[in-house]
Amino acid sequence: MSAVLQLKNVHKAFAGVPALAGIDASLANDTYVSLLGPSGSGKTTLLRVIAGFEQPDSGEILFSSRRIDGVPPHERGIGFVFQNFALFPHLSVAENIAFGLTNRAVDPVTDAKVVAGRVRDIIGLVGLSGLEDRATTQISGGQKQRVALARTLVTEPSMVLLDEPLGALDANLRMRMRGELRTIRERCGVTFLHVTGSETEALAMGDTVLVLDAGRIAQSTDADTLYSRPASADVARFLNCYNIFPGAVSGDAFASPVGALALGGVKQTSGNPAYAIRYDRVAIRPTDAATADDEVRIEASFVASEYSGAAINSFFTLDDGRVFEVETHLSHAAPATYEEKGRYALVWKREDALVFV
Amino acid sequence: MTMAATSHDTPVETAERPTRKQPDRTFWLLAPGALWMLLFLVAPILMMVYVSFWTQTTFKIEPTLTLKSWVTFFTSDTYLGALWTTVRIWLIVLVSTLLVGYPAALFVGLFVKNKTLSTALLVLCVIPFWTSFLIRVLAWRPMLGKEGAINMILMKIGVITQPIEVLLFSELSVIIGMTQIYCVFMVGPIAFMLGRIDPSVIEAAQDLGAGFWRIFRTIILPLSMPGVVVGAIFVSVMVLGEFATSAALSGRKVNLLGNIIVTQVGSLKWAFAAVAGVVLTILMGAVVAALLRVVDLRKEL
Repeated sequence: MSAVLQLKNVHKAFAGVPALAGIDASLANDTYVSLLGPSGSGKTTLLRVIAGFEQPDSGEILFSSRRIDGVPPHERGIGFVFQNFALFPHLSVAENIAFGLTNRAVDPVTDAKVVAGRVRDIIGLVGLSGLEDRATTQISGGQKQRVALARTLVTEPSMVLLDEPLGALDANLRMRMRGELRTIRERCGVTFLHVTGSETEALAMGDTVLVLDAGRIAQSTDADTLYSRPASADVARFLNCYNIFPGAVSGDAFASPVGALALGGVKQTSGNPAYAIRYDRVAIRPTDAATADDEVRIEASFVASEYSGAAINSFFTLDDGRVFEVETHLSHAAPATYEEKGRYALVWKREDALVFV
Repeated sequence: MTMAATSHDTPVETAERPTRKQPDRTFWLLAPGALWMLLFLVAPILMMVYVSFWTQTTFKIEPTLTLKSWVTFFTSDTYLGALWTTVRIWLIVLVSTLLVGYPAALFVGLFVKNKTLSTALLVLCVIPFWTSFLIRVLAWRPMLGKEGAINMILMKIGVITQPIEVLLFSELSVIIGMTQIYCVFMVGPIAFMLGRIDPSVIEAAQDLGAGFWRIFRTIILPLSMPGVVVGAIFVSVMVLGEFATSAALSGRKVNLLGNIIVTQVGSLKWAFAAVAGVVLTILMGAVVAALLRVVDLRKEL
């Protein structure tokens, strides 16, 4: 697979505060890439640098093997879908979509028939038929999203950047647009770079997921690998499905604030030592239950549980005050009820834990 | 006793309250303004129309209805000339305030990203208004005069050998003065509309491949049109009613309808002044109506 976009050591600072601190990444052609990062990690800055609204302080950006840093946005051929859609308020749906075709500086389409035909095709593709003459104030959020996407896709960019495209939609619509965005992308065959702060969205959407942390790409891999093998404790923390202990490896155990945790799982080098165990890998047992040799056991007091349909999340406080979360899938067993402030044993297999050294 | 009864009744009446109380409140909120306008705007205008048909003799005016003042107005070259001068100066000043004001508004409203700074710049535009109108007008005399600053500088650097006389006491000086005084009324509304344009809309147009002039023509200009229309209404109404600037800067060479009214009132020719007043009012009404047709302000604002 050839790379459509390559970033080499891209730096960008605002008033001395670094937003991007050496981004290296390569995005493959014809894929859905999601970019996950907590707020303030530089996601939007990265998108704006790629689109050309901001200039990088140093580094190289190659788009289809051509250097584009320094090229003005309107000559880059990269589509950008704004979080707030940024539709032209004085133009109708069809006029919004036709804008790029008729007004671009490079190779504008002057034949009104050709424009009308391409606008009609793209309106069909994104499912907006019948709304061509509506004002942008007379359509719903999901429809605005589609107009914004159609307006970009009709110019046939080789790559589309989406800045939290589902952030402005309500939960129901968000789920539906996830599927639609993927379908639309497959039909167009271009690379989408989808920026999001939601780990579930990033995992669900991306063929490749990039994790941005403090202005650097912390990990770049497929969703499955990311979820089960985060590259560092910080990445594990963004995924919001790991209990993480600080500490250090000493001998054949990990010395953590809640005691020594026996090693046995995967050890990864990340520079920042930590011990991580996924919420759904932990079993809750009475304190007097037996523990097998390959298991790790700690004790904690039950606080509360949260029911989320297919699973139930139980919260415990450990002896050092830290909160520990356990996710139990209800398909495995009927939900047990736990006594508030009661002591329970939390047990997991040694090899399920991730150890960062 | 009444108070107690009212507060006691309130919960019982809530259901019918909105329908019964609403017209009441509307009436009381509108009454002061409506009364004021009726007494001091509508009544005087009607009076002016009425007086324009009175019979004017050299020393007195009688309420005997006649068309004589109207006939005199529309058959006299002087008065028709004043009407034409008024329209011409209005159009020139409107265009020049737009040409000077729009770029300034574009800078303040769109290119200055910092909201505090753009507000500060708009306030700067208003600073000349801290001085009196007359001083602002008269200050142009030492600037434009035969031995004024501009002529002196141009002669010093050798661009001209004779002072340019047309600078002061001419139509040009009236236009220069009015443009300077009324420009800010054009800048304000346009800058306000430009400031409301979402920056990401312009970035979206850039991203779709449009260059600056394309974006200006297709996005920025249409979105700022309501500001242009409001500014044009401000400038038009003020310029059409002008008399002081032309009196001070034209040396009585430029006579606007406003100057005619001042002279006629000064010589107690009330009927004649009323005719000029009615003509001016109709002209302003027509101009404002025409400008409002350009943009549907209710929809855009």
